[in-house]
Amino acid sequence: MIDADSRTTFANCKMGEILGRQPDEMLGMHLFEFMDEDGRKIAEDNLERRRQGISEQHEFKFQRKDGAFVWALLGTNPIHDDNGAYCGALAMVTDITERKRTEAALAHYATELEQSNQDLEQFAYVASHDLQEPLRMVASYVQLLARQYQGKLDAEADQYIGYAVDGAKRMQRLIQDLLTLSRISTRPQTMRNIDCETVLAEALKNLQIVIEDSGASLTHAPLPVVYADQGQLVQLFQNLIGNALKFHGDTPPQVHIEAELEPGDGAVEPPHWLFRISDNGIGIDPQYFDRIFEIFQRLHNRDEYSGTGIGLAICRRIVERHGGHIGVISTPGHGATFFFTLPVNVTNALNDCDSDRRG
Amino acid sequence: MHSTTVILIVEDNPGDVNLLRRALSGVRSVSLFVVNDGAAAIEFLRHEGEYGGAPRPNLLLLDLSLPKMDGHQVLAVVKGDPSLKSIPVVILSGSNAPNDISRAYALNANCYIAKPIDLDDYDRVIKAFEQFWLQIAQLPGSETE
Repeated sequence: MIDADSRTTFANCKMGEILGRQPDEMLGMHLFEFMDEDGRKIAEDNLERRRQGISEQHEFKFQRKDGAFVWALLGTNPIHDDNGAYCGALAMVTDITERKRTEAALAHYATELEQSNQDLEQFAYVASHDLQEPLRMVASYVQLLARQYQGKLDAEADQYIGYAVDGAKRMQRLIQDLLTLSRISTRPQTMRNIDCETVLAEALKNLQIVIEDSGASLTHAPLPVVYADQGQLVQLFQNLIGNALKFHGDTPPQVHIEAELEPGDGAVEPPHWLFRISDNGIGIDPQYFDRIFEIFQRLHNRDEYSGTGIGLAICRRIVERHGGHIGVISTPGHGATFFFTLPVNVTNALNDCDSDRRG
Repeated sequence: MHSTTVILIVEDNPGDVNLLRRALSGVRSVSLFVVNDGAAAIEFLRHEGEYGGAPRPNLLLLDLSLPKMDGHQVLAVVKGDPSLKSIPVVILSGSNAPNDISRAYALNANCYIAKPIDLDDYDRVIKAFEQFWLQIAQLPGSETE
């Protein structure tokens, strides 16, 4: 409680606790004595409005007796005497230091995140321009060596050249995949309504050679229209189907793609499309179900199955950027089913239909 | 019919120049000129300085990452100059970044080729380039228009 001159006339224990003082030592102290320069300025303005009878809440930084600052929510209600003259105010102080600390931490993380996104973009740029150039030189000239000197040196030399060519090519695949992964995070998505039948057709076109070579049979149920980034969705289908084709056993791969509408639980989970890509391949041990979506995690020797260990990390990032999640179920030796969800975006879907009609 | 086609290669990496010369070595009636940076490319095209007697190229093979003036800048100057803009510019770059590609076309590049990393692919691509640009396509003449 303060009087008309903003001097403390009453303070409770809680107030004392917040400001690090005994309640009775605060008596007579001016409200400004608990504030820093900025706080005083705001408080002065407020005083004027309080005299006019306005009740308000403000966030203030108060200084404790030990010099430390605490953030508090200060609510002031003016008190007037019978003649209507301002004679002080009842001030309610709530400690919000913790909330302020969280807010500051969040702002800090946001800045950090933005910085790391910029770093990632910078990496993508460096990788596409500067890393590939020298690598291409190494790869090209080692191949040139191989071409011109194969059989003219000894067998060991031929083998060394082979290792070098192989290493350079693997490095280039790694750079390409890392680039794809970083672009998914840094490039803005172009979201619109897309027919998954078209997406599938494009993914299969890109996989045409692998499909023919493996003698695979592919089937699919009718696929829905979803609200997504087309390029990323093609990449997602292509990676998952590509995996299904790659990790096959002795028999030619059989891959089935389907989607169904899941109603959601009406609370936490909204309605979404659940896509499944099932194969008859070698399957995955359940202990690796999570690990395979992490970058550079491979379960197989390069001689058995080639790859950079980035493909499924790309899939996960695409699905998560679309607000869905991805997973796998499998019994080793009996194929695997990769599934992912995409939200049903009703509002956007409708807007898009409208603009399509107008356009 | 078989007049010599003049190609100006703008490429700072000697390894790349050598790969190009190799891949184009069997092609007749082609005369290759090489400059190593973007500023030199502009001087060559404008017959300035040491390039006073340089011929006008029928085609420009332009790398993007270049010292002094990068490929995009060279492209902007060439396509912004009424006396040079009719020269077809084929970008031959190590980058396949979507940004680089769209920027090049926005600056009126006539074709964008990303250098393949595999030597067999590289030779195939340069062969296809040669077949299209030197055998199929009709190029503007060497005279200043």
